[in-house]
Amino acid sequence: MESSESSVSAARPADVAPGAARSGSERRARTRWRLWALVPIVLIVAVVSIFASAGGSLVDLVGTNPPAADEFDIQRVEFKPGEIRIHVRNPQPDDLTIAVVAIDDAVVPFEVEGSPTLGRLASREIVVPYDWVADDPYLIGVTSSTGIQTTFDVPAAVESKDPSGKSFLGYALIGFLVGVVPVALGLAWLPSLRHASAKWLAAFMALTAGLLTFLAIDALAEALELQAALPSALQGTGLVLIGVVVSYLTLTWVSHRFSAKSGRERDPTLSGIALATLVAIGIGLHNLGEGLAIGTSFAFGELALGSFLIIGFMIHNVTEGLGIAAPIAEGQRVSLGRLGALTLIAGAPAIAGAWIGGFVANDVVGVLFFGLAVGAALQVVVEVGRYIHRRAPGGLTSGYAIGGFLAGVLIMYATGLIAG
Amino acid sequence: MAKSRVTRRQLLIGAAPALAAVPLVKLALPEGAEGAEPLASHEGHDHAAMGHAAMIGAEVPAPGGPNDLDALLYPQAPVPGDVVEYELVAHDADIEVAQGVTFPAWTFNGTVPGPIIRATEGQLLRVRFTNAGTHPHTIHFHGIHPANMDGVFEIVDVGETFTYEFPARPAGFHLYHCHATPLKKHIHKGLYGAFIIDPAGGRPPAQELVMVMNGFDTDGDGENNFYTVNGKAFYYAKYPITVRRSETVRIYLANLTEFDLINSFHLHGDFFRYYPTGTGDAFEYTDTVVQTQGQRGIIEIDFANTGLFMFHAHQSEFAELGWMGFFNVVDGDEAQPAGNFLCEPDEKPSTV
Repeated sequence: MESSESSVSAARPADVAPGAARSGSERRARTRWRLWALVPIVLIVAVVSIFASAGGSLVDLVGTNPPAADEFDIQRVEFKPGEIRIHVRNPQPDDLTIAVVAIDDAVVPFEVEGSPTLGRLASREIVVPYDWVADDPYLIGVTSSTGIQTTFDVPAAVESKDPSGKSFLGYALIGFLVGVVPVALGLAWLPSLRHASAKWLAAFMALTAGLLTFLAIDALAEALELQAALPSALQGTGLVLIGVVVSYLTLTWVSHRFSAKSGRERDPTLSGIALATLVAIGIGLHNLGEGLAIGTSFAFGELALGSFLIIGFMIHNVTEGLGIAAPIAEGQRVSLGRLGALTLIAGAPAIAGAWIGGFVANDVVGVLFFGLAVGAALQVVVEVGRYIHRRAPGGLTSGYAIGGFLAGVLIMYATGLIAG
Repeated sequence: MAKSRVTRRQLLIGAAPALAAVPLVKLALPEGAEGAEPLASHEGHDHAAMGHAAMIGAEVPAPGGPNDLDALLYPQAPVPGDVVEYELVAHDADIEVAQGVTFPAWTFNGTVPGPIIRATEGQLLRVRFTNAGTHPHTIHFHGIHPANMDGVFEIVDVGETFTYEFPARPAGFHLYHCHATPLKKHIHKGLYGAFIIDPAGGRPPAQELVMVMNGFDTDGDGENNFYTVNGKAFYYAKYPITVRRSETVRIYLANLTEFDLINSFHLHGDFFRYYPTGTGDAFEYTDTVVQTQGQRGIIEIDFANTGLFMFHAHQSEFAELGWMGFFNVVDGDEAQPAGNFLCEPDEKPSTV
């Protein structure tokens, strides 16, 4: 605002004396018009309150409202020694009361902390004393006071561990194996890349863009699939969009800062190391979602963690290391410490994701995380594309760039077949 | 409503044969998850023992207070005279069928099942029926009567009244229900009740109880969410029925469960005589009987022991969804006098 004021007065250097008075009245006028902005808000409040007080009669004119759906959103079911804990949320516009809980079509006594009546989007933990059998499937039913039963299938009861040192370490190891290790191994391609020709480097950069595009589509599919299961009140598609936009714009801002810092205002292309950092962030966000998915599925007994799965993820993610290595292959050498940092940026989020998924995650977090991964990957694809366009021989249309991109997509597809 | 968190990638893995687990990963596996050993005994844990034992007394999630179902449990004594009259009004009512769960029912006189109708063989039964509900209804009595008293052809529209009148026969235990179509809807919404016809001269003295087995589909998916006797899930588990050991317990048992083909009654700790439809002297000496929809019979128990004895459907699912209860068998006169219960004024039979 200060700058606009000064520009106004700068535009009228002639009438300084009356300008002082005028700027006072102008300021008043501006204040008045700013206050006017409140008028629509006041009006909408007034209209809403009038409608709310007469809403019922309006409905009567056109018909009757359908009955309330009265279904709960069962977010999470945890199995503890001697009890089952059910986390429910009310996705309905009206209050919803927990009346009866049934496990495998048998009514069971239960406890709820606080009122059993949930306001819109309120959550409760239902504790059911229950002698459950490990590895058995369970059908969890929560019935509202209006008799509507919401059910939740548990494919296999597996004890949910509180965050203990042991399970913390366990999830960390899973994240380490599927995130950090393959990225570090992929970075070992760096010396070979350094001796590749400029054309081949462009091909590898395009390959990075290709694999990131694959990851973006993959994460988008996961996000949309997860959001479809959310209650409509939570607007799952909006959550996906928020995740995508937030990460895309944040990374755009970050890359702008990078190029500004290195004095490249005229050349918006990033330096190799800055681009590698961006690629690492994009891959890291994807691995966060991947870790989350693994942790959540395992915690819910929906996923058997075997060596096959771990190996699959490792092979799949090795290419991610290659993607980080490509941008730093030319130019000055990068210290080992920096490489380590890049590895952690790209791989360590898988550990955090596994923790979150294993201990606290619900579908909302999953949708957001996958959305973030989509935006980040797409933004990095744009940056890589810009890099190839400006720096690579032949630009984006060279056979190396196009072939590299295609190879990136195909490699991800092929290794994805192994990971499942 | 099944929600799956298994992603495409993980589904493919699930289909692949599981190989040996990476030893490191084992650190994250919960104990007990490797074998199939049940987590049965956790010493010092309050909730270790669950099952029947947990479903007694104040713990039981049953709606209503003590004596709420007395009018449906204890039949009124047979009324002498040539004519016995009842007044039945069909109206919609929200009733509590399980703890905290209301069901938008169609009722006779406000309860599901409706009031017990009782007459002696040969007595003229006159039932004045008013439809104060929102759909056409009828009353179809089981028994022997003229075609125009069968409650099939004379549909009683909303606001109308119809008087059913016929001599009560044969002696036995019968039932009545609405016969308007769609039949399944009109029955599962609650339009039914017990119909006792005593043999001329009556039955030997006993502590008489009526149990109408039913179910409630509260979420409209064509499957019962709760099973009860006399309309409230787990009611007799929370409020056991006190009976005297010294006197025969006679139960008029009928099955008006909709959707499920059969229901059953099983008594713990004793045996009973079961007279199918209550029409003859032949009985089976057993502890479990099965009835299909609309089937009924009379049970006579001479308890050998005192104490709490469970009764429930021997379909475990029905039992655990509300169809279970207890007899509290006592010595002496502690028991509530059965068989001469006073009805609510609007259900009271009158003799002319």
